[in-house]
Amino acid sequence: MIIKFRLDGRDVSVEVEPNELLLNVLRDKLGVKAPKYSCGIGECGACTVLLDGEPVLSCLTLAVDANGREVTTASGIKGEEAEMLMKAFAEEGAVQCGFCTPGMFVMSYALLHEKKRPTEEEIREYLRGNLCRCTGYVNIVRGIEKVVEMGGKK
Amino acid sequence: MSSTDLERLMNKWLSAQEFYVVGKKVERADTIEKALGIARYMEDYYMRDMLVIKQVTSKYPHARILSIDDSQAKKVKGFLMNITAKNIPGENQVGYSIPDQPLLADKKVRYVGEPVSLVVASDFDSALEAAQLVKVNYDPLPYVLDPLEAMKRNDVLVHEETGSNIAFRTKVRKGDVEKGFSESHVVVENTYRTSHQDHIYLETEASIAIPNLEGKLTILSPSQYPHLTQKIVSRVLGLPASSIRVVVPYLGGGFGGKDDQGPLTSAKAALVAYLTKRPTFIEYSREESIAVHPKREATVIRYKSGADAEGKLKAIEVEIVHDTGAYANRGPFILWRATMHASGPYVVPNAKVDGYCIYTNKVYQGSFRGFGNPSVQFAAESQMDVLAEKLGIDPLEIRLKNILTPGATTITGQVLDSSVGVKEALEAAALKAGWKEKRKAYSSMEGRFRKGIGIGVAWHGISTSRGVPDWSAGTVKIELDGSVSVLVGIVEMGQGSPTSSHRQIVAEILGVPLDLVHVYFGTSDAPDTGATHASRGTGVGAIGVYVASIELRERLNSLAAKLLNTDPEDITIVDGVVRSKKDPSKSMPWKDLVKSAYSKGVSTTSSGYFFLPKGRFDDEMGQGFAYISYSYMVTITEVEVDTELGTVKVLKTYPAIAAGKIINPVQVEGQIEGAFVQGMGLALTEEFKFSEKGEIINKDLTDYVIPTSMDAPEIAEPIFIEDRFKYGPFGAKGVGEMALIPAPSSIANAVSHAIGKRVTHLPITPERVLKLLEGR
Repeated sequence: MIIKFRLDGRDVSVEVEPNELLLNVLRDKLGVKAPKYSCGIGECGACTVLLDGEPVLSCLTLAVDANGREVTTASGIKGEEAEMLMKAFAEEGAVQCGFCTPGMFVMSYALLHEKKRPTEEEIREYLRGNLCRCTGYVNIVRGIEKVVEMGGKK
Repeated sequence: MSSTDLERLMNKWLSAQEFYVVGKKVERADTIEKALGIARYMEDYYMRDMLVIKQVTSKYPHARILSIDDSQAKKVKGFLMNITAKNIPGENQVGYSIPDQPLLADKKVRYVGEPVSLVVASDFDSALEAAQLVKVNYDPLPYVLDPLEAMKRNDVLVHEETGSNIAFRTKVRKGDVEKGFSESHVVVENTYRTSHQDHIYLETEASIAIPNLEGKLTILSPSQYPHLTQKIVSRVLGLPASSIRVVVPYLGGGFGGKDDQGPLTSAKAALVAYLTKRPTFIEYSREESIAVHPKREATVIRYKSGADAEGKLKAIEVEIVHDTGAYANRGPFILWRATMHASGPYVVPNAKVDGYCIYTNKVYQGSFRGFGNPSVQFAAESQMDVLAEKLGIDPLEIRLKNILTPGATTITGQVLDSSVGVKEALEAAALKAGWKEKRKAYSSMEGRFRKGIGIGVAWHGISTSRGVPDWSAGTVKIELDGSVSVLVGIVEMGQGSPTSSHRQIVAEILGVPLDLVHVYFGTSDAPDTGATHASRGTGVGAIGVYVASIELRERLNSLAAKLLNTDPEDITIVDGVVRSKKDPSKSMPWKDLVKSAYSKGVSTTSSGYFFLPKGRFDDEMGQGFAYISYSYMVTITEVEVDTELGTVKVLKTYPAIAAGKIINPVQVEGQIEGAFVQGMGLALTEEFKFSEKGEIINKDLTDYVIPTSMDAPEIAEPIFIEDRFKYGPFGAKGVGEMALIPAPSSIANAVSHAIGKRVTHLPITPERVLKLLEGR
């Protein structure tokens, strides 16, 4: 079947099988490589994307569920908040190998939309499903806190 | 340049006191593209015209392969072929230290998960379906899983040809331990156990091989040493190394695991590409990654120590057993490192250390951040606390009485003439942590939740050991537009050497703005720079580009002196401005100096090389030179134990590191934080459960538990003791592995303090805590 949706700000249409996963369709059929395959069963968060603004694990989401909706990957996140997050991630050393980062970036962005001024505890709680093996999470949390301190969304 | 000239110039830069990019919190080059998901990793290069490979793995811990039947697999649409050991054109031999390991099992299998054949298909689904239909007929053999049992048994042999399950032995002998113990006021002996640990790099193993018309191959490899991959692929295919070109893209984590499994993953992709003459792709699933690739070894360490009434160590006697699993791989090197570091960072006059690397029918062991050292430091550091308790001395005091200082002799007889900042690191961390007050306050806690504070101190030899040849190489090229291109074999796996420290080192020496320096890394096209392992990516890996930059700077100083009518020693170049020190009005832009070099016949390319001068180790005597330099690490950690549930919460750690010059404090801090949390996993949760057949049961991230953002503790800003190493760039040693090494011991000592019982078994699971509390 053919599904149509908005992907990172553009309209796409693609033929999929009913059992095909969003992650595979994004990566292999639409060439969007930001969401990563790491565990394939919803344990690590590396494939996180936004579906109508809500974070979902694209390895557990059927591609057909995206029909008529809006999918945003790390590559499609734009705006002042995204710029601030990027800058904070760079300054605080929130990125090492970077494989978990697109998922972390999407989650951080979603968090800042959901909560204006999350506490450190709330940040850690929000990111608990996104595994990182390099940073020990410290600088990722610090990066988000930095954006919160700067006032987040203006 | 003569070697004397080179050493003179290296010394000049070593003593530099003022820096404009080195030691500064500069941003690495790859953050933004990684955050946006634009940076490409192995799997991102997959294209749909590539053949897909799926591994068929062993279901038995030990069995003879009778036949491999792919008749059912052939019925799958999209199936192309099933490749077995028989199809390998070169040598089916990939053993790293001992030639004991095939790429694909031949005649017999030795662990559940061992690759037996490679199914090749046009797409993922067909490959997976066909792999499940390949029927391997086995004749099961008796097997052995426990290393202590395997040591004693000769009737069940993992490798018949060896006549024993002991793959390798190591030893250290110093002084007379019997005399040392007889002079001791207290002697304590304990047995310590640690478990297997998986790297859980977020990116599983994957590789792409692309053949060309001449039969040469370009390989995208998930490896930590492109030249090693080149060597192994060339051996397996029977092709000259020059036919194999290796490029390592950004790695989604390595931690040593991809040093071992990277070349083998690529050899599989290359084998299929060679046989089919088509581009191929292999990617391990998470379950497959856990089943197939080598782990941190499980260990059993018997440790006896004696000290006099003042707490001075008199003797140690240590027996280290490593469960190496089905293959030796790097086991002998890992065991060797553990053996040499068995004393902890202390002066011990009498030492007897024996190491045994034991074959069992389980997944094999390999490189993992710390490389044999975290477990032995855990044992050594636990012993220090036990001795302190028996003698009624504070754990900090007993350590300070015995700690290595410049001029001290190690248990292998190596004299540490300089760059030994561990004492300062320990004192500074203890002060910052408020050690004395907290130790006292937590000692009297009662009730359900009890806090504890513990010290972990570690030493770690940087780069490869003893007489193993070790060098650094790299090429630096100044382009006509003034930008600088750097070519090195060091890979980028998250640690940031090519994207940060190498750029800073080159920019500092040439005096160019950091933005102008671009590093091309991780390829066999670069000079062989050695592996990105053993914490050597900057301290050793960057010496080549450091030397190349120094040579270029000498040439440019001479040219600038002529242009500015002064002498070369009078030239400074900082942030793109060339100037006379004596007369600052005489200056020119960097770009003009480069243009002059091009027009006046001054070469703007230099290839740097440095061979590390090492000593000898006598295996018979168990004495000699071990490592060219040592980094030191202290973590002082606070925990809270729930004595009803047995759970441990790590509250805060205070790190201090003596790793020579710190090139980038942000990156070093990141390495410390990440390594500490990985070490916390080893200490608290990470453990494999094996079935009766030696199969890993918990092959997923739900049942194999690594720390999450909820578990990571507060980590104080690290203390840096810059005890410069004479050959390192600006005196840098190594950082990458460091915080993982004392992390488990500081946590175990803190838990022991909290509950008043000695932890001897990692991970410290709630069950083990409750068992200790109940005195079982």
